[in-house]
Parts: sequence; structure tokens; C-alpha cells
Amino acid sequence: MIELRDVSKTVMSGSEPLTILHPLSIQIPHGEFVAIVGPSGSGKSTLLGLIAGLDAPSSGSVLIDDVDITKLGEDELAKLRGEKVGFVFQFFHLIPSLTAYENVAVPMEIAGVADARPRAERLLEEVGLTGRAHHYPSQLSGGEQQRVALARALANNPKIVLADEPTGNLDTANGRHIMDLLRTIHAGRGTTLVLVTHDAELAAMADARLVLRDGRVVESTLPLHPPVAATPTTASMADARVRPHEAS
Amino acid sequence: MMFVLRMAVRETRASLRRLFFFFICIAVGVAAIVALRSVIQSVRGVFGSEAKSLIAADVLISTNREWTPDARATIDRRLADAGMAERTETIETPTMVRPADRAKVVAKMTELRAVQPRFPLYGSIELQGSQTYSPALLAGHGVLVRPELLTAIDVAVGDQIVIGQAAFTIRGVIVREPGRGMGEFSLGPRVIIAYGDLPSTGLLGFGSRARRAMLVKMPEERVEPLVKLLREDFKDDFINTRSFRSTEDQVGRDFDRAENYLSLVGLIIVILGGIAVSSVTRVFILQKIRSIAVLKCLGARSGQIIAVYILQVMTLGLAGSLLGVAMARGVLASIPWMLGSSTSILAQAHYGVSWSASIQGIAIGVLVSLLFSVVPLLHVRFIKPSLLLRDESVRRARDWAGMAVIAVVSLALVALTAWQAASFKVGIVVCLGFAGLAVVLHLAGRALVALIAPMANSRSFPLRHAVLHLSRPGNQTRVILLAVGLGAFFIVGVRSLQASLLDEFSLQVAANAPDMFLLDIQKGQADGVRAFLGDPAHGAGDYQLIPVLRARVVGVAGSETNLEGADEVRQKGASIGREFTITYRDHLEQNERVIQGAFWNSPAADAEVSVEKMIADRARLHVGDTMRFDVLGRIISARVTSIRDVEWRESRNGGFVFVFRPGVLDQAPQTFVTPLKGPEGLAARARFQHDLVERFPNVSIIDFHEVLDTIRDVMSKVTLAITVVGGLVLFSGGLILIGAVAMTKFQRVYEAAVFKTLGANTRTIARMLLLEYGVLGSLAGLIGSLGAIGLTWGVSRYALEIPWRLFAGEHIGGVLLTALLVAVIGVVSSLDVLRNKPLATLRAE
Repeated sequence: MIELRDVSKTVMSGSEPLTILHPLSIQIPHGEFVAIVGPSGSGKSTLLGLIAGLDAPSSGSVLIDDVDITKLGEDELAKLRGEKVGFVFQFFHLIPSLTAYENVAVPMEIAGVADARPRAERLLEEVGLTGRAHHYPSQLSGGEQQRVALARALANNPKIVLADEPTGNLDTANGRHIMDLLRTIHAGRGTTLVLVTHDAELAAMADARLVLRDGRVVESTLPLHPPVAATPTTASMADARVRPHEAS
Repeated sequence: MMFVLRMAVRETRASLRRLFFFFICIAVGVAAIVALRSVIQSVRGVFGSEAKSLIAADVLISTNREWTPDARATIDRRLADAGMAERTETIETPTMVRPADRAKVVAKMTELRAVQPRFPLYGSIELQGSQTYSPALLAGHGVLVRPELLTAIDVAVGDQIVIGQAAFTIRGVIVREPGRGMGEFSLGPRVIIAYGDLPSTGLLGFGSRARRAMLVKMPEERVEPLVKLLREDFKDDFINTRSFRSTEDQVGRDFDRAENYLSLVGLIIVILGGIAVSSVTRVFILQKIRSIAVLKCLGARSGQIIAVYILQVMTLGLAGSLLGVAMARGVLASIPWMLGSSTSILAQAHYGVSWSASIQGIAIGVLVSLLFSVVPLLHVRFIKPSLLLRDESVRRARDWAGMAVIAVVSLALVALTAWQAASFKVGIVVCLGFAGLAVVLHLAGRALVALIAPMANSRSFPLRHAVLHLSRPGNQTRVILLAVGLGAFFIVGVRSLQASLLDEFSLQVAANAPDMFLLDIQKGQADGVRAFLGDPAHGAGDYQLIPVLRARVVGVAGSETNLEGADEVRQKGASIGREFTITYRDHLEQNERVIQGAFWNSPAADAEVSVEKMIADRARLHVGDTMRFDVLGRIISARVTSIRDVEWRESRNGGFVFVFRPGVLDQAPQTFVTPLKGPEGLAARARFQHDLVERFPNVSIIDFHEVLDTIRDVMSKVTLAITVVGGLVLFSGGLILIGAVAMTKFQRVYEAAVFKTLGANTRTIARMLLLEYGVLGSLAGLIGSLGAIGLTWGVSRYALEIPWRLFAGEHIGGVLLTALLVAVIGVVSSLDVLRNKPLATLRAE
């Protein structure tokens, strides 16, 4: 389970402090598919970064499986990410000097997995890239690159997959392909999936939704603390869980 | 660990082309170290295996006086006690040699050696062709000569030459002889005759500069005790004793020094490569920021990522070092080919890369790569994975760990240099010197870049952008200025120094200054020589016969210095322990000035002496002191009545440390020397020397034009050597430049694409590149040139004590050539920036 307790983020904008995320507490149960929605600059990616321990909050704490990750050092955080969190970015962020296969194998090698090769090949097969394993990112299309990134995110069989606008840089067909893959993964592996998007159609596929504006939660179907004032909370958790199945 | 290894392999594969040039710099430096060390070790091997033939004996006892019966008796007794096995005697003296054929009007100064049949006790005299040496070759006025003499006086084997008053037949040509050191200064080529034939030449008259030697073969373990005893016996006499071992030690020390200092040259090139590696690593990490953030996002720790890149740098460093060893092998393999049929001792060595030199070279290459890349790699720790989500600059707090690493790296560099120079002091001095030079070049670079900054407002678009590019983020301006500037500094510096020295020497041989020097004129020959020189038919200009005697200081009773006996003078007498050539006269020369006391103008019965200022200062001698001189065994007490300042640069007529008042020495046995202006033209000079020697066979002639030629020859070799070193540094600078261009090319390609989109044509962009690199090259050249001015000024003023002159041609040429070189390299290695189509580039971004 992911739990955020009074988490906020303030950065310095020039000499002025700028709060990009106001204090927020949420819980994301294991196996949940949550969409974080909002316009640009609303704090979506910041929130995702805090959940992954890529960034430290200005206040509050982030717990993953009851471990307060804000108390961990850089190296422990890296280890935690390597074991429990898979990441998919809008701009893919593949390592340009490595082939598709090598990009997928890297997280396993970091974690010291012995049989990285067959697993990396299986993952590439899962995302439909068997024949492209030895191509460099520059030789792949955007959709193919994102599929490699997806395979890489699953390399260590993480409990949590965080996706930051994974379709934002793709055409419609490729975007749909990626979303299908993400949903299959979520459904098939029981992975917690946190998706940042400003595409309402994609958000509608999620079990739960968190809407941010100017660093504040304006709508949520997740258990919140404190509760969002004047938020048209309509669906219960149980309802939310049913939705994707209806959609598919 | 597997991750680190695999990533290192992949990263190396991906960046090999971009990093290649920097490791070529390491290769060049390592090649220099390995080649220099191996060559010296090879040559040393030759000497080492022939230690005894260095002096051709176990013990060498020598003197420049005649052996007195007392000395002989002492030596005989000591040798008998020490169980001597064999002994032989030689006499060496410089003398003029001329062809017996009177039609050939030439004469040449040579170094004659008269040997007894047993010579040499160790080693052998090697002759040209298949001839082997035997004393029979010298019997009946036979002579062996060096090949240079044959060409100098136009004679061949079988011809006769005249030495002194006797004719000798040339029976062979000397390739190598034991007891003749390498690179020793010599007045002329060697000539060997039989000991028994020497008296017939008449060269052993009074005042001859003959050096007599006794060579002894004896049991090795008794050598050192004997040397000690003989040194004690003869501490007050003009007799020297040395063993093959002390010679070997001396030669060994010389070789050690040569090897260690020369390899510093290689080290400097490696360090230059290291600086390039450091600079490129910095840019490399900047370019890899995203990949590093991704790796951190995927769970990699900073330590693991740093390990990946350290491993990569060390792999490339190792590859560069191995390439360097291969290059050294190539160079060494070509040495025998370069030496050809040379008869020098160098041709005797077996040249090969030694294991110890290779291992040292490789260790240095890898270590320098490591040391110089560690500090920029520490930056990896500050790269946050969150930058994948939000563009943010990498902030750096005060980094104590980083500072500690810098301190450790600096210490390691000092240790490395000290190891190479085999001296901690030299290590510190070289490191501080290099750091100082780097700081000066760096500051000069910054100052010059700042100086041309206003050109960024120029109306010319290409010039404006060329100047702006020099200070763009991630620029390589500083490192290129340092590397190329250092190369230019070496080359321009040494060339100006050479020009300066040659100029100085040429000035001295100019116009009416004396350009010939006659030695060993006997008292009885003085009038004859005067008549000969006065005869206009011989074409000599101004001349002056100066009486000279040889003397040694054997005591000082003064206000500050008190020394008793020759031994004490030798040990404590600062600079007055050696033998001096003295004269007497009643006037000061033009280049002399009395600065203390008064100079005489008439003879006197009591001895008085005038002392040269520098020697007087060093030995703390003052007017009123009494000095005792041993002049040919006679002790003369002389009062110091004046101290003279001597302008040594114009010392042809008056270069004497001790000048006596006439009266006391006039009747003592003496010889004369004569500085004179010789006839003009090669043929006239040759005839003059021939005619003079024919009339006065024992007189030696030094021709300054020949000496100048020799100096010019030696200097051009030294200059060539330093120019090669400078060339290597400049070559490394060129490689660093190519590498820097390759490294920052992505930026240029993008900018060029934007410029093209905005309407700039290829010619404008080419002009921009040409100007950028032209300006960069000019700055580097200027830095080198300014450095060279500093160097020549310092060396001229303090080391050579000659007036400093600016050779504008060398400097202007240096700056222009450097600018051209950098511009050409810069533009040629940026050609694809010009060729790329803008759309593809922009789309890729």
C-alpha cells in the first residue's frame, strides 16, 4: 500500500518560495489503478515523483508498505525503486547508448538478478518487440520506444508501476496500444498502477481518480484526509473498482 | 558487480569514438615515457657490460705534469703492495696534424694519444673494415686516426701525416676506442701513435698540455683500498686516481638522472592528456545527466554509476597505454635503421622496449586517467532522478567529500611525479611548476578571452558568434588554450632561445674581434711567431702575445679567509681549488675595471696580484690579503692589491682570474697564447694554419669559426630534440582539439541547424567556425608566445647571462602558425556540422 501523510512540496522560484503541492494525505491500496488528472503545472508529476522517492517532500511522509521512504537515504531509495517501483515516462527516457534488450536488462542487472536475459527477452516479447531487441532507441519509433520503457518498468516485477503521461508523446494508435498494455499488466499481475494524465478518456479507465489544480486536490475518489471541501465525490471505492471491467 | 562491468563495456562501446582522441594523448605520453626509458636502459646496458673499458683499466692514475721520480716510486710501491697484475702508460695531448703532402695546405687540431703495447687492458680498439688492432700497426711511426680526420685534411689510409716534427703513416681508421666517453667535449678527432714515437714529435717540450696516465689491472677487491691510499699520498700533488667503479658509479648516476628527467617530459604529456580526460569527463557527465538520472530511477546507486564510469575511463586509459607501448616499440624498432652505419656507441646497443619501462608507462597511463577523471565523476552524486520529471539545474552544496578527493588526487599526482623523477623534491617542484604554469596559462586565457569579449558586439555576424562560442556553456576553450598554448610555448621558447644564443656567438666572431687562438707558443718561439703574424703575406689581423703560466692556490692569509695548504684550499676554498692559467702585465684590458684597490703600471720586485671580482666574492678575498701560489713547484706569496670586474663576454684578450704585477714571473718558465684576427676565407685560413704549424709544429690553433660550427651543430640538435617534445605536446593539443570538437559537436550541429533555419547559409557558418577556431588558435599562440618571452628573458638574463633580445619573427610566425593549425583542425573536424540538413537535426531534438 502507498500512503501519503500531510505531504507538501515547496520550491524556491527565484527568491520566492512557491508551493507546488499543498498538504495532502491519501492511501492507495495494493492493486489499485489510480489516475492523477489535472492541467499542466497542477502538481501531478511532482506527486508521482514523491510517491517514487525521486523527490523529497517539504513536509509530511510517504509510506510504501509501511516503510517511511522520506527517512531513507539516496542509495536505500534507489534500492527500493529497483525492487518495488517501475517507471514509465512521457519522453521514454531510454538510455541512448544501450540496445532495447540492454535497456530492459539494466534494472535486473542492478538488482543482481542472475537470469536477466531470458526474462528481458520474455518482456520484450510481451510488448511485441521480439525482433527489435538489438536496435538502439534512435532506431525505434516513439511507440516502440515507449513499449521498451514499459518492458523495462516491469523488469523486476514491481508491485507498483508509475506512469507519467505515457501516451503524451505518441500518436493515437500507439497511445491506445500502450494503454492496452498497461491495463493488461495491471489486470494480469495485480500491479498497483498510478497514471498521470490530462486525458479524460484515459482517466476514465482507472479505478480511482485524483484531480489536482494549482497543487490542491479538487476531486478524489480515494480516501482523503483531510476530506476535500465541496468536492463532488460521487463514487465509492467499490464502485471505482468495477469500472475498468465495465469499460473493457 | 556484473551490472558495473556490463554497463562499463556498453558505455565504452557507445562513446569509444568520442573519447578516442583523449586517450591517444595518453598513448603519446606513455609512448614517450616507455621509449625514452627503454632507450636509456639499452644504452646503459652497453656501458654496464663494459664498465672497465670506460677507463680501459681497473685503476687510472693521471697527471698533467711530468711524473716525478718520487711519485713514480710511491706508485710502484703501492702497486706492488696491492698485487698489481699489469700496467701500461699513455700520454694524451692536443696537437695540430697536417698532411705530409705539401700540396695540401691544411692543418687540423686533434687529440693525440700515445699508447704502450699493452694498451688497452680492457676492451679493444676497433678498426674500420675487418682490420684488428695490434701494437704492430703502430710500430715504425704508424698512426691510427678517426674517420673525421681523413675528410678534414684530405688524406687516406696509407698516406703520411705530420705530427709535431715527425711524419707518420696512416695504418687504420678507429671506430671505437676504450676509455673515450660518449659526448665528451673534444678539441678534435682522436689520433693514436706508439708511446715510443712520441718524443720524436717534439711535443713534450715545456708547457705542453700533455696528460700522462698509468692504467693498472689488478684484483678487484684491492682496487678501492689502493685508490684511497693513492689519493692520500697525492693529496697535495697534481695527481688524480680513480677506479673503474667510481667511473661506473658516475656514469650510472648520469644515466639515472637522464632517464628520470627525460621521462618527466613524457609525464608532462601524459598529464596534459589527463587534463584533457578531466575536461572531457566533465562534458561527458553533463551529456549523460539524463541517462544517469534514469539509472538512478531504476535503482542504481551513485557509487555503482561512478564505478561504471571509472571502469570505463580505466579501460580506455589502459587501451591508450597499450597503444603507447606499441608506439614505443615502433619507434625503438626504427632506431637501428636511423643510426645506419654510425660508429657511435649508440649503435652498439640492442634497442627493445623493456618490461620495467612498459609496466611503468602503463601504470602511469591508467593512473593519470583515473586521477584526472575522479573529480569530475563525483558530480554524478548530485544528479537527482527527479530531473526526469521536472527540468531543474543540478545544485551543488559545499562538497567536503569532493574536496577531500581533490586533495588525495593532488597528493597522488605529486607522488606519481616524484616516483618518475625518483626524487620527492623534484616531484614537488615539477607539480608546483606545472600547476603554476597551468594557472598562468589559464589566467592568461581568461584575460585574453575577456579582452576580446567586446568583439561580441562586432557588426560581423560570424565574428560576433565566433567570440560568443568561446565562452558557451560546456566550452573546451580553457583546456585547448592550455594544451595548444603549452606546445606553442615549448616550440617558440626554444627557437627564440636558440636564435638568441646563435646571435650572441655570431656577434662574438663578428667584425674585428679575434677569431683564432694560438696556444703553446714557447718562449723561444715568441719572436718568430710575432714575425710570422706581422708578415702581411699571412693575412693575420690584430694580435697580441700573452704570457701564461699554470698555477694553483696553496694558501690564503686574509681578513676573512685563511687556508693552509693545497688540500685545505681544495676542500674549503670555494672556487679557488682548481688550477688556474695566470698572466702578468702592466695595464688593464678594455674589458676590465678596477673596483677595489689600485692597479699597478710598472714592474716591482714584490709579488702583487689582482683578483677577478666574482672569484674574490665567492672565496671572500679582499685587498690586503696574501695568497700563496704554486707556480710549477715554486711557491710565490703575492699580496692582493686590487679586485677587477671583468666583462667576460669580451674576454678574448683579458679573461684571467689572477693577473700578476710584472717583475716576479717574467723569468719563470712560461708559454704564450695569442688571440688574433685570422685571415678571411676558408682557404686562406687553412693555409695560414698549415704554414704556421709547419714553422712551429708544437703550436696549437683553435679556430672560432670551427668552434662556432660545432656549437651551432650541437645547438641545432638540442633545439631539434626540444622542438620534437614541443611538437608532441602540440600534437596532443591538436588531438585534444579534435576530441573537444567531437565532444561538443551535438551542440554545434543543433546551432547550425537553427542558424540555417533562420537563413544563414553554409558559407556564413563556415566563416563562423573558421573565425572561432582562428581566434582560439591566435589566443593559444599568443599565450605560448608570451610564455616564451618570459622564458627567454629569464634564461638569457639569469642562466646564460647574455642580453635579452626579442625575435619578433619567431613570435609572429609562432602565433600565425598556431592560429592556422587550430583553425584548420577545427574546421576540418567540424565538416559534418556544415553538411547536416537542418530539418533532420531539429526533428531529432
